[in-house]
Amino acid sequence: MNTSPLIDIQQISYSYPLQIKANSPAQSLKALQDVSLQIQPGEYLAVLGHNGSGKSTLAQHCNALLTPTTGRVLVAGLDTGDNTQRRAIRDCVGMIFQNPDNQIIATVVEDDVAWALAVRGLPAALIAERVEQAMAAVDISHLRKLPPHRLSGGQKQRLAIAGVLALRPKCIIADEATSQLDPLSRREITALLHQLHQELGLTIIQVTHLLEEAALAQRVIVMEQGRIVTQGTPSTVFADVERLRQLKLSIPEPIALAERLRASGFTISREALTVEAIAREILH
Amino acid sequence: MTDPIISVKNLYHTYQSGPLQKAALVDITLEIERGSCSAIIGVTGSGKSTLVQHFNGLLRPTSGSLVVDGVNIKAKGADLKTLRQRVGLLFQFPESQLFGHTVYADVAFGPRRLNLSKSEVRTRVLHALNTVGLPPHDYAQRSPFELSGGQRRRVALAGVLAMSPKILILDEPTTGLDADGRNEFYQYLHHIQQKDAVTIILVSHDMSEVALLADQLFVLHNGRLVAQGSPRAIFTQDTLLREWGLMEPPLSELLILLRKKGLPIPEQVFTLDEAFNVLQALRTTQHERKNV
Repeated sequence: MNTSPLIDIQQISYSYPLQIKANSPAQSLKALQDVSLQIQPGEYLAVLGHNGSGKSTLAQHCNALLTPTTGRVLVAGLDTGDNTQRRAIRDCVGMIFQNPDNQIIATVVEDDVAWALAVRGLPAALIAERVEQAMAAVDISHLRKLPPHRLSGGQKQRLAIAGVLALRPKCIIADEATSQLDPLSRREITALLHQLHQELGLTIIQVTHLLEEAALAQRVIVMEQGRIVTQGTPSTVFADVERLRQLKLSIPEPIALAERLRASGFTISREALTVEAIAREILH
Repeated sequence: MTDPIISVKNLYHTYQSGPLQKAALVDITLEIERGSCSAIIGVTGSGKSTLVQHFNGLLRPTSGSLVVDGVNIKAKGADLKTLRQRVGLLFQFPESQLFGHTVYADVAFGPRRLNLSKSEVRTRVLHALNTVGLPPHDYAQRSPFELSGGQRRRVALAGVLAMSPKILILDEPTTGLDADGRNEFYQYLHHIQQKDAVTIILVSHDMSEVALLADQLFVLHNGRLVAQGSPRAIFTQDTLLREWGLMEPPLSELLILLRKKGLPIPEQVFTLDEAFNVLQALRTTQHERKNV
C-alpha cells in the first residue's frame, strides 16, 4: 500500500487485570495476543467474533479507550499511548456503543448532538451549522426538539452517530451498535453506516457477531481468543461455513441453505451472501 | 382453547392520568395455552413489556379482566404473592441483578423467603442449577462474578426456576449471547417446558429465535393486538409485518422473495430442511421437463 494506514495496530497484546478473591493467585486475562492490523482511510472493515473473542477490546484500542500492554497503536500517525494526543485521537475516531441509553447526555435531541462541540468551546454559529449537518446526515432533523427517551432504539443510535459525526471524525467504530435493536432498525443502522462510508468517505469499523452485518463490508476479520484467526473479503471468509461454526458464529439460514444446495450440485456463487443475491443465484 | 393458563379479556392499560396520559394497551383479548411456548413480538414501545408485567401482577389493568392460573388480577384482595411465586419473570440482562457471594446463595435467595425447610430449599436449588447446565458440584460454591456472561445469565434463570414457577416469562432472554450461548439457552428452555411442564412466554425481537421456539405468536402494534397465530402463518405476511415495523426471519424472507419471482414454493414451507427438500424437488422436476 502506498497510502499510510489511518489506524496502524502494531503487534499489540492486552491483558485485563483480574481481581477475583483475596486468596486466589493474582491473574490476568489475555484479551489480545500479538495482533497486527492496518486499517486504510476509507475502508469498511467488519470485525466478527463471539462473546469474549476480543473484538471489543480490539475496537477500544482504535480510539485510545484502551492502550496496549505491549506493542503500539498509531491513529493518523498519533500514538494512543501518548496522553496529550487523546482528544485529537478521539476526534478522529468516534465510537458508538451497544446500549443507546448509555451514550445520551442531554435532555433534548439537538442539545445532545451539540454536546461534545460545546464542551470543546467552539463558537455557537459553528456548532449550529455542524449540528444541523450531522442531524441531516442521519435523518433525525425532524426529531430535534424531542427528549431522547421518546426516541425508538434505532433513532437513539442515529442520535449517537450524529453526536460523533458533529466532531467531523475520519472513522466511526460501531461496537455491537445494532445488537439491542429490532431487526428492521438493525438493518437501517447498517445501511446508514454504509451510506456514511460512501457519501462522506468515512472509514467504518463495524464490530458484530452477526455474519449478515459483515456481508457487505470490504474486509472481514474474525477474532478468536484474542487473535485474528482469519481475514479477507466476505466471500472468502464465509466460504468455510464449518470453520465459522467452530468459531461460535451463527450462520444465517439463507447462507446455510445456499451451502447445502451447493453441496448437492446447485451452482450458487460464493459471492452471494445476502438474501437478494442468494435468491438471484437460486433462480438463474 | 382447551386449557388456557392465562386469559385476558378487553384489557386496557393507561399510564398516568391527566394531560400526560398514554394508552399503553388497548382492548387486548387473548388466551395462552397451558404448557405452550408463546412469544409476544412488536417494536420498542408497542406494549410488550407492559403486557407481560400484568401477568404477574406488577401492573394492574386500567379496565378489562385478566385471569392467571385461576387468580383474577382485577379482583380486590387478589393473592398477588402466590401469583408471583407461580409466575417467574426474567428481565432483560438479568445477570446484572446477581448479588450473592456464591452461585448457591444467589439461587437460594428466593426459595429461602418462602418458609420452606432447609432441605427443600437445597433440593430446589440443586435441581435448578442442574436444569440450566451448571452442575452444583462445579458451580455452587463459585462467585457468580467469575463466570462468563452466558453462565451468569443461566444463574439468574436458575434463581427464577428455584421458585418452581408454572409460568416463566422471559424478556429478551438471549440479547448479547453468542451462537453457542444462545443454543444452550434454547436447550434449557426446551427442557423446562417439556420436563417441568412450565408455560413459557417470550418477549423477543429476534425473529429467528421466535420462529424456532414459539408455538404461538402475538403481535403488538401501538398497544393493540394486531395478529396472532403460528410462526409459520405470521411470517408469510411480509407486507403487514413491515407495517408493524417487524420483519420475518431471513429464511422466510428468502422464500417469500423466491415465491414472488415465480418459484412454486408452498406457503407452509418454513424450516431449513423443508426449504432444502422443496428446492431439490423443484430442480429434479425442471430437469425432467428439459429432458422430455
